[in-house]
Amino acid sequence: MNVLQVRGLAKRHGQKQSLVRAVDGVDLDVPAGQTLAVMGPSGCGKSTLLHLLGGLERPSDGEVWLAGERIDTASERALARLRRRSVGFVFQAFHLVEELSAAENVELPVLLAGSSPRQARRRARLLLEQVGLADRARHLPWKLSGGERQRVAVARALANEPLVVLADEPTGNLDTAATNEVLRLFAHLRAEGQTLVMVTHDGRVAATADRLISMRDGMFVEDTWLAS
Amino acid sequence: MLVLSVAVASAVLSLGMSLPGVTERLYLHTRAATAGPDVVALAPDDSPVATSALTSLVDAPGVAATSRPYKQFWATLTPRGRPEVRVVVLGVDRKPGPIDRPLMVSGEWVSPGGVVVEKGFATAVDLRVGDQVAIAGRSYPIVGIGVTAARMAYPGAMMGGPGNGPSDRAGLVWMNEPDTRALAASDLPRTSIIYLRMHDPAATSKYMISYHETRNSAGGFVGDSFVNSFTWQFIANEDGRHLRDSQPIMIIGGWLLSFLAVAGMSTLAAGRAAGQVRRVGLLKVIGATPGLIAVVLLTEYLILAVLADALGLVVAHVLAPSIINPSGSLLADGAGLSGMVILMTTIVAVGVAILTVLGPAVRAVRSDAVTTLSAGSRRPEYLVMLSRVAALLPTPLLLGLRLIARRPGRAVLHLCGTAATAIGLTVLLMVESQPEQGWDFGGVVLADLANDQSRHLLMGVSAALIALSVVNTLTMTWTTAMESRATMAIARTLGATPGQITWGLSVAQLLPTLPGALAGIPAGLFLNWFFGPPDPPEMHTEWLFLVPLVLMLGTALLTALPARALARRSVAETLNAETA
Repeated sequence: MNVLQVRGLAKRHGQKQSLVRAVDGVDLDVPAGQTLAVMGPSGCGKSTLLHLLGGLERPSDGEVWLAGERIDTASERALARLRRRSVGFVFQAFHLVEELSAAENVELPVLLAGSSPRQARRRARLLLEQVGLADRARHLPWKLSGGERQRVAVARALANEPLVVLADEPTGNLDTAATNEVLRLFAHLRAEGQTLVMVTHDGRVAATADRLISMRDGMFVEDTWLAS
Repeated sequence: MLVLSVAVASAVLSLGMSLPGVTERLYLHTRAATAGPDVVALAPDDSPVATSALTSLVDAPGVAATSRPYKQFWATLTPRGRPEVRVVVLGVDRKPGPIDRPLMVSGEWVSPGGVVVEKGFATAVDLRVGDQVAIAGRSYPIVGIGVTAARMAYPGAMMGGPGNGPSDRAGLVWMNEPDTRALAASDLPRTSIIYLRMHDPAATSKYMISYHETRNSAGGFVGDSFVNSFTWQFIANEDGRHLRDSQPIMIIGGWLLSFLAVAGMSTLAAGRAAGQVRRVGLLKVIGATPGLIAVVLLTEYLILAVLADALGLVVAHVLAPSIINPSGSLLADGAGLSGMVILMTTIVAVGVAILTVLGPAVRAVRSDAVTTLSAGSRRPEYLVMLSRVAALLPTPLLLGLRLIARRPGRAVLHLCGTAATAIGLTVLLMVESQPEQGWDFGGVVLADLANDQSRHLLMGVSAALIALSVVNTLTMTWTTAMESRATMAIARTLGATPGQITWGLSVAQLLPTLPGALAGIPAGLFLNWFFGPPDPPEMHTEWLFLVPLVLMLGTALLTALPARALARRSVAETLNAETA
């Protein structure tokens, strides 16, 4: 079963001479449990594709289906509900809420989904233990290293057991040691059967995926299966 | 916003600071322009004994000269098609004498068959040159509108009733003396009046001691007739009564508005702090000293504050004549703002600007260049209990409470600003709930100028408070929205709906609004009790429930606009902008 299904997806910015085709008519099927890496040079439309898949941007053309539900025509409210339950995001810049502790950052999506504070705390504790940050739960983001912040972001993305995790350059701001920490985490997710779509410049990250799509000028130019 | 806030506060504050002593200044100006008497003396009738008593005052202590005695009649004036009103008709010469030469603001001095009406009275009854009026049943045209310093301002022209009884409110009419024979032939009550010029106008006390003010004095008797005397100082003081209620309104209103200006400006400055901090970083990189950086940051706000102050002073200058001369009985062309008032309001405006920008400037100057250049330099080091409590609440409250937890100072400013507005609204409601009591003119009730003046000023100050409060609420919500756009965008990626974001931002303003509104009510009641009339009629305190209701509803509506605008922004664009 496909968790994500995309048909003729396009995103254009500007008009006439200034027209930019960020994503230019791509088709994509992502089955449940697959780890997909999208690679390409800067500005080729990788991040835009990820935003379109997660309903953070509206496409100019085409369809996006998430778990059998069409999301490109859904209302903002419906999209918000979908993101709560079905999508987890990991960003290159972490995007943690600066005034909340690591644990509270992980609790936030659980609370937004309607769980009780007690359930949210329990879930956050469990996830922070899984990413090896149980002892840093009460720290504010700025007191954490880059790798730790990204691990909190991963924990937050997993908070509501999403159908798919969308990761945008998850190691782009990290040094080698921190990258290795995150890669180990992603390998664990893959082993657990978590559907994961990540865009990256980093060949080491891409090498951990089941499938690699190369992207150029908004289009897919190569689709390779890596895993046996 | 900054210019508007400071301009309104400066205008009200400068008007408030101009009120003390302004009537005396206007009276002195009018007195100089009309050769006003130093003492006005009245005898209870027009008998030879009374007239003789008045003329004998030329020999009284300190008196240098007197006018001739005039007769004045207690009559009624009926404007065409309107009810009659009580007037004092003074019989005068066609050519005014050396003491009391009323200044014509329109038309000309009395002529046979034509009368002149005192300006304050003419304004109140809406009389103009050329109008026909009936006095004691006879018709006369109005040939002029004049101003004098020989009487208390409208409606105090009577200065003692017939037979030296209590006086009623009345307007003043000058009539050519031969025309008063018709009045004399009727049975109208009358008195005699004379104007005195002293050797030393400031030393009217000698005269008053002789006749009125000590145990050994004549007790008001001059010969066989009782004489009632009024010094120019007494008249000036009485004229100031109209403004006495206005002064606390303007002064306290001015300070409340100044506080709102500070609150609004601080929010604006905080909203711009991130940009300012980056500017400081760039300046440091190119070698600017801390002193130069502080000057750069302060200059912008100082220039705006001084410009706004100037604008406020111009507005105050334009409004001043109608506020400081409510009766219109005095010449108001000398009613400009004094140098001291201009200096004081400018100091306040500059102080507001410095207070506003000092904190961000000091923080920016103290930070190192690399920190100031980095996007995320503002990182709170504490978490307040509010943040934890918020986890127990529905999503909008959770988001709103966490916004407050991050900016407690702004919440306090909003609370105090709301309290200031609630004070204004409470006082306004209390005053408006009291019945308007006009002045009885023996046939028609005309507006009570002092009461009207207070109500109008209170209305104006309240309107200014509400206007600034509206602007502040919009500014605070917008600034909070701008500062929290990244947080809110993240919340949306985590599944918060636009509606929850909108309500979260609104809640961040509404939570401090309620305690602010509730705190403002007792403060407003206290001010009303302290400065209001000693025995006010029963007040409709049940109206006070409207204050928090109106403020909460107003804030909800006002915050919904900028909050909704933020909530509808593209999440992807916001996040990209944050990482750019």
